[in-house]
Amino acid sequence: MDSRNGTPDEAVVRAVLAGDVELYAVLVERYRDRYARYAARMLGSRDAAEDAVQDALVRAFDRLADCREPAKFAGWLFLILRNRCFAERRRNQRQGRPLEYADEAVAGPERSDGAVERRESVQAVEHALGQLTPEQREAFVLKHVEGLSYDEIAGLTGATVASLKMRMHRAYDRLRDLLKEHES
Amino acid sequence: MTNYPLPVKQLLDGELTLAELPPELRAAGEEALGLVASVDRTPVTLSPTLDARVMAAVRHRATSRARRVWRWFATPRDLELRLRVRPWAAWASGLAAAAGVALLLTRPPARVPAGAVAARVATPNVVFVRFVLYAPGAKRVAVAGTFNQWDQTAAPLVPAGTGGVWSTTLALPVGQHQYAFVVDGRRWVADPAAPAVDDGFGRRNSVVAVTAQGARTL
Repeated sequence: MDSRNGTPDEAVVRAVLAGDVELYAVLVERYRDRYARYAARMLGSRDAAEDAVQDALVRAFDRLADCREPAKFAGWLFLILRNRCFAERRRNQRQGRPLEYADEAVAGPERSDGAVERRESVQAVEHALGQLTPEQREAFVLKHVEGLSYDEIAGLTGATVASLKMRMHRAYDRLRDLLKEHES
Repeated sequence: MTNYPLPVKQLLDGELTLAELPPELRAAGEEALGLVASVDRTPVTLSPTLDARVMAAVRHRATSRARRVWRWFATPRDLELRLRVRPWAAWASGLAAAAGVALLLTRPPARVPAGAVAARVATPNVVFVRFVLYAPGAKRVAVAGTFNQWDQTAAPLVPAGTGGVWSTTLALPVGQHQYAFVVDGRRWVADPAAPAVDDGFGRRNSVVAVTAQGARTL
């Protein structure tokens, strides 16, 4: 076992800034998958998520000297990834490209006959999620996919709990409409 | 548009249970719970080659000449200095240093720009910059910035009397620096006497430009 794995983020960040570039691999290994599901749900596919996570990790290295609180590297990296996801979504919107969900990003392998119905239901919800605004989708993903509380989401994103609830409630209504359209 | 009633939204938020909903809303509640239950929560695992790709990009950036030179200048280092001296020599050195400081303080002050940041040239490449913050009620104040790797403990300010004015003077290399004050170890405050720029993550950093002639806020 690599003894560096237990090193706190703060110590790793300071060592990297002092010139031990190879130690950055500890942070890459530690955080490469943590936000992968968030990125996949925000961007619609595992491939897009992988590009976003890779870009975010490289960008974090480039700007590591700007990380005010190295002990909170995880939250700082999340903000970089979040900005990257929002920028890509807005770029796609300007180009008129809808968010398309790849199968592998929205459902695992089928395990039984009843899984077909479940898979269709999952795909319908994921397709509807793709129609939400990035802010509504993020709130929904962080609460109902990542399982965070409103307070935790507020801490990560900087939004207030009241505005997050407003986004979420609009997302519920929009999802309900989209799924009814889908059924009809 | 058919909105969910507020209690159903509170059910989805985890603030109410299905049993707490009025009977006429339970069907809508069950439908809404079904929607949330259909969300895919399958973990996403990225390619095993991701780490290698990131580290290749990182190494490439780290070995670029300009970056190496910048890091050499910008990265703080721990230095350990051991001296073996006789006590009388230490006292003599201390008195000489105190005399030097007294001489320096009695000289007329150099012309400094107005505002919270004032400066005096120390060497052609290093300039003394004074940071001042009015923070009544604060228990401790520090200044953190690109010049000290945003270390909240590296540059504490000291109170000037009991009026709530805190200050410190730092020797900064020539160049442009971003900074912010840290009040009581948790609250980041941009310098009210200096313009601020967005740090890209929704917070504001103040900016000071240090030249061989002095320092000015941007």
